[in-house]
Amino acid sequence: MSVTVSAADDDRVPPEIVSSVFYSASVSDNLALVVAEMVAGRPRLSWGNAGAVDLLGYGLDDLRALPVDQLFPSLGGGGLRLLLRRERTARMTLPVRMASGATVEALVTTTPAPSGRMWTIRIVSATNEQERALRATADAHERRFSTLTERSPVPTLLSEQGMRLAHVNDAFCSLVGRRAEQLLGTGWIDTVHEDDLDTVIERVSAALDGGEVETQARLLRQDGTVRTTVIRFAHLFTPGVGAGFVGTIEDITDRLAFEARLAHQANHDPLTGLPNRTLLAQYVAERFGPGRGALACLFLDLDNFKVVNDSLGHTAGDELLVEVATRLCTAVRPGDLVARFGGDEFVVVCEDVDQPAAVALAERISVELARPVRLGGVDVRPYASVGVTVQTEEHTSADELIRDCDIAMYQAKAGGKGRITVLDQQARENARDKLRLVAELRDAIERREITLLYQPIFDAADGRPVAVEALARWTHAERGPISPAVFVPLAEESGLVPALGLLVLDETCRQLAEWDRMVGPAAPPRANVNVSAPQLDANLPPQVAEALERHGLAASRISVEITESALMKDPDSARRVLHQLRDLGVELAIDDFGTGYSSLAYLRHLPVDCLKVDRSFVAELAHGYAEIASAVIALARSLDLSTVAEGVETPEQAAELVRLGATYLQGFSLSEPMTGRQTATWFSSHGESTR
Amino acid sequence: MTVTQLTPRAEGAPVFDLEKVLASIDTMAAQRPVAAQIVSVANSEDTSATVLSRILASDVALASRVMKLANSAYFGMRGRVTSLQFAVTVVGFTTVRTMATVALTELDDEARLPEDFWDVTTSLALAASTLAPRFGERPQDALCIGLLAQMGAALLHHNDPDGYGELVAGHADFSGRRTAELRRYGINSLRLTAVALEQWGFPHGMTGRLNVVDDYTSPEGGLLRAAFEVAARLTTEGYDAVPIVRLTYGQLREDDLVPVLDKVRADADELRRAMLGD
Repeated sequence: MSVTVSAADDDRVPPEIVSSVFYSASVSDNLALVVAEMVAGRPRLSWGNAGAVDLLGYGLDDLRALPVDQLFPSLGGGGLRLLLRRERTARMTLPVRMASGATVEALVTTTPAPSGRMWTIRIVSATNEQERALRATADAHERRFSTLTERSPVPTLLSEQGMRLAHVNDAFCSLVGRRAEQLLGTGWIDTVHEDDLDTVIERVSAALDGGEVETQARLLRQDGTVRTTVIRFAHLFTPGVGAGFVGTIEDITDRLAFEARLAHQANHDPLTGLPNRTLLAQYVAERFGPGRGALACLFLDLDNFKVVNDSLGHTAGDELLVEVATRLCTAVRPGDLVARFGGDEFVVVCEDVDQPAAVALAERISVELARPVRLGGVDVRPYASVGVTVQTEEHTSADELIRDCDIAMYQAKAGGKGRITVLDQQARENARDKLRLVAELRDAIERREITLLYQPIFDAADGRPVAVEALARWTHAERGPISPAVFVPLAEESGLVPALGLLVLDETCRQLAEWDRMVGPAAPPRANVNVSAPQLDANLPPQVAEALERHGLAASRISVEITESALMKDPDSARRVLHQLRDLGVELAIDDFGTGYSSLAYLRHLPVDCLKVDRSFVAELAHGYAEIASAVIALARSLDLSTVAEGVETPEQAAELVRLGATYLQGFSLSEPMTGRQTATWFSSHGESTR
Repeated sequence: MTVTQLTPRAEGAPVFDLEKVLASIDTMAAQRPVAAQIVSVANSEDTSATVLSRILASDVALASRVMKLANSAYFGMRGRVTSLQFAVTVVGFTTVRTMATVALTELDDEARLPEDFWDVTTSLALAASTLAPRFGERPQDALCIGLLAQMGAALLHHNDPDGYGELVAGHADFSGRRTAELRRYGINSLRLTAVALEQWGFPHGMTGRLNVVDDYTSPEGGLLRAAFEVAARLTTEGYDAVPIVRLTYGQLREDDLVPVLDKVRADADELRRAMLGD
């Protein structure tokens, strides 16, 4: 390039020359350009464009004689040398003096001509309108942003580089109880819990790398307390600077505490504070491995707890339970679990013990428990029946283990209280078999596989059939017929009586209605339905009423038979229920009369129609003992009640009972129980309408 | 070109050619092309960590210093930085550029530097960075300008070892030393640094601070004045401390300096090792 820009006589240097001097700049009047030359060893301006005239405020003539050092007053001689260099372009930000004397900050770029004696100088004001506007916008932006974060209630961090913080808002400062100065840079790292720091740094790395990540971390407050937080990191990129992050923090300490409290409540017994049944199941399930044989369970049931509750009150009962819980916790080995199973039942779970050790622990617990407790001024010695089970290969699930020690506890209880029993193989099998049978009975009831047979009841006076008794029968698919003497008590133990009772009641009513449709007036006039003790509550009368209504039957078609012992469990309640049944219009009979211990005075106040003479008294007739049967029949008659003699097995017994004055007879010798269809046929041929 | 008719200088001092000093930087740049390339691209808007780390990878010594710095206590990453690209991200582009500039101007060759150069520089840089938020400035930029501030002094020393050595010996305090520099060389070392940095495109926002350090009426100079004071207190034996309130328009009190002095003292060595690749 060979360009000579001399101090031309004409006012302007041709623009094409200027533009060739400026390698890439397109010359415009908006750009301030001047040319400087060395004149007598001192640099002076020799030319300026319109932009320079506008910017600097000099007339062109004044400008053309201006020494460069006057234009840049902050430069000493050394500085001027650095600005006007012979070999290369130089760039500086400098104050530039205007004609008015004021200075303006400007970016000054100088480019030497090849001669080394002339420079073109480009002056870009750093404070022109556009830049001011841009800066104002940027400042406003910055202020908006800082207002947003500073005032935000969300604790916020803004990184500068790496883990270094450039900004932190007030919310974060108050979260950790420190001043911003302590947190900026890497100071905030000290607030992260040591055990969480690795994860936090890892997440920061991911955020710096462009990710959006979050982590749970504990933060240490200045006062030493710990807050648990979720920190969310987002990537920030500033062109020409690099990567940073924004971190927002959510303090979840209170939420976690609340959740923990809820979880604790869900898994612990509020009275004793011990783990409850749910946690026990979870605990055992977590540690149970089939065939490992590492677990032992002790099932404890306090003997005579009901006595304490009934005699000293529930508060004393609760006190006793709390004391037992405390003693259990001190008696077990560290690491053993003590749980309250329910009521006065506790379970201890131990790991890595064999049977002798488990029994030894049970003994130690029994001794510890048996120390006297003073309750309401009375010394009580809490004895417990303890069932012990050590895991064997037969145990396939955690539930089985707990169930087995429950069974062992029942065995201990059955063998006399205050005992320790280890569950043996035979007992386990029996118990399991029983459990299976209960499950199958439940299924049988649900599927209505319990069938009913009907045994006719005869008028003792003329031998006419006057009613039937509905008898439940269960024929098991594999085991064949199962006696009511087996499955009825089973139903009573396992809470299946309400369902079974309802089934019998409903099916009897249905059958009565069917008989009516099939044989009309020849149908059995009445059916007797047995009700067990657990059924005898306020639900029974409405259930009976609904069954009658469902099948369109009159109340007189049903007689409800209740055992004497059922009546005696809760006499007051039983009396209320019987009155309600009586109000419906159904007949009431007391079953197995004479086997219980009802007082005659009580009997007098019950609204019953009939007493059933128990089959054992009828059987005695064959051996010449007629006293009890005779007394029962006489009693009934004196109370103006009818009687049914059950279990009549011979014509002689029948004749004797007629002689004693029994109202009705029922038994094998008279007629066996029959199916519904058989009963219909039987009644068509034997009976005549009695209604 | 000789600069002779500038401000009066000591009798018998050698003739000093500023032009030559600046030219010597260009020569150095030619010897460290990778560093030179980094200096030129690091601040462009579209530079990415990928681009920078790719260039950086071809200067093993420089790359290892960047890695070392990224893993230093200063950035708090505790050894998590294992890739060069991530190291560039962590330390930031300006810092990478600063380290390249250090390499380019041979500030990593202690044999050619005034005594205590790096002790002063690391203290200065860490103090500036630590105090930056108090002055509304970015710690990152403050660290960089602190690391580079004494480049001018190094250049003066390099070109006039005896003269500059004498000058340093005669003026323990930095402010007095700069007045002497101006008298002897026509320019003080901070101004020389600013000229060189601006030449290489470091933003004026950074370099401008260097020009106003000795202008006690300028609040912008407060941060570096305070940083020089911290450096002086930590590195100059028998230093007569200047009240920090006076240097910073009341922005800082002596109490504020206590933790800063501790922090700088604690981190200086590690920063020095990262910068020099020891």
